[in-house]
Amino acid sequence: MSPLPISVVTGFLGSGKTTLLSRLLRDPALARTAVIVNEFGEVGLDHLLLEASDEEVVLLEGGCLCCKVRGDLVRTAGDLLARRARGAAAFDRIVVETTGLADPAPILQALMTDREIAEALRLESVIATVDCAAGDATLDAHPESVKQAALADRIVLTKTDLADPAASGLAERVRRINPSAPQLIALHGAVDASLLFGSSVYEQRNLALYESHAHTDDGVTSFCLRRSAPLHAVTLSLFLQTLAEHCGAKLLRLKGLVDVLESPGRPALIHGVQHVFHPPAWLEAWPDHDRTTRIVVISRGLDADWLQDLLEVLDEEVKACSIS
Amino acid sequence: MSSHKTAGVARVLSGALRVWGVSASVERDPERADAFVLRTQSGIRMQIAPTAPYGWLVWREGRSLGTHKGLTGLLRSLREELAPDAAAGRLIIGSQSLL
Repeated sequence: MSPLPISVVTGFLGSGKTTLLSRLLRDPALARTAVIVNEFGEVGLDHLLLEASDEEVVLLEGGCLCCKVRGDLVRTAGDLLARRARGAAAFDRIVVETTGLADPAPILQALMTDREIAEALRLESVIATVDCAAGDATLDAHPESVKQAALADRIVLTKTDLADPAASGLAERVRRINPSAPQLIALHGAVDASLLFGSSVYEQRNLALYESHAHTDDGVTSFCLRRSAPLHAVTLSLFLQTLAEHCGAKLLRLKGLVDVLESPGRPALIHGVQHVFHPPAWLEAWPDHDRTTRIVVISRGLDADWLQDLLEVLDEEVKACSIS
Repeated sequence: MSSHKTAGVARVLSGALRVWGVSASVERDPERADAFVLRTQSGIRMQIAPTAPYGWLVWREGRSLGTHKGLTGLLRSLREELAPDAAAGRLIIGSQSLL
């Protein structure tokens, strides 16, 4: 059975997550959607498959919130899947609405790693709502909201009837935080569902939007590492290990398409949230004419030149080892 | 080791020190072209030299800290020595398919 798509809707308090979701659920294309929420907002979601979830977050030594926590969110998703398996629930997609204060990273990591649900689900998209009326003030005052935007695959600009995001500069500010996430305008929660769901978040066309030089805004630095020569598979492994080991929470998200020497013509698709990665996927072919390795990094303060040097030095070392 | 690679390693070490929050400089060892001298603002002096086939020898104030395998081993050793309180993560590969 193919994995069910699961999407995460995040965004700061009052940014319009629930309004967006309640409108989306009226779309016939999303009729068979189960929703997991961990806060019940003022707007009631009239939906048959609404589940409540309180995320359990335990502060572990070393500051990592994700590794040893098997939260209520995972249990709730597991329960839904079990009900579906025995015919007690009929849905083809799950959407998780986070609390406004939630850091989406541990949620994504739990979905990626929990053995009970990870193989039954496929992360489809991470959607962040940004309130155009209060967005600037929220980004100024709440680092959580910056991280929510940085981790998203799609940004939905809400309350555009109250403020024009282009005129205020908010749209550009959010674009600098996360250049790869397309921005959609929602008016009273209305937005085309097909632009949010129904395709893989790992569409490589988004990688092409990145320029090699770094953008920094609100403490978030995003850039794209590029390399024209193929990398040894071991180099890729060592590179990701080094990032996970030393960069910790500074690495927010990494996604890329890698030309691997041992796999000519079949690039590796990689994706990670902080130090947790999906197993690499091997594409049958390059998705476009560009055959260069592209690794998009969204981080808090990591230096693009440093990571580029690290990649090059590791590959030289691996090359020297394979010759000797 | 080529001078190009030596310069790259020096930049990687300098960048790693910044990530760990350690104020230090990394320079070529005047006595050995492929080796480095690392000096922290707090006065620690370390020497780092490659050893075949892909190891790194490290000394702190002339005391050997052993041989470390590859750049990854060297970075781990330096972090443990210079920034023991810096967060150390571990790569986790989940079980969810990407496609």
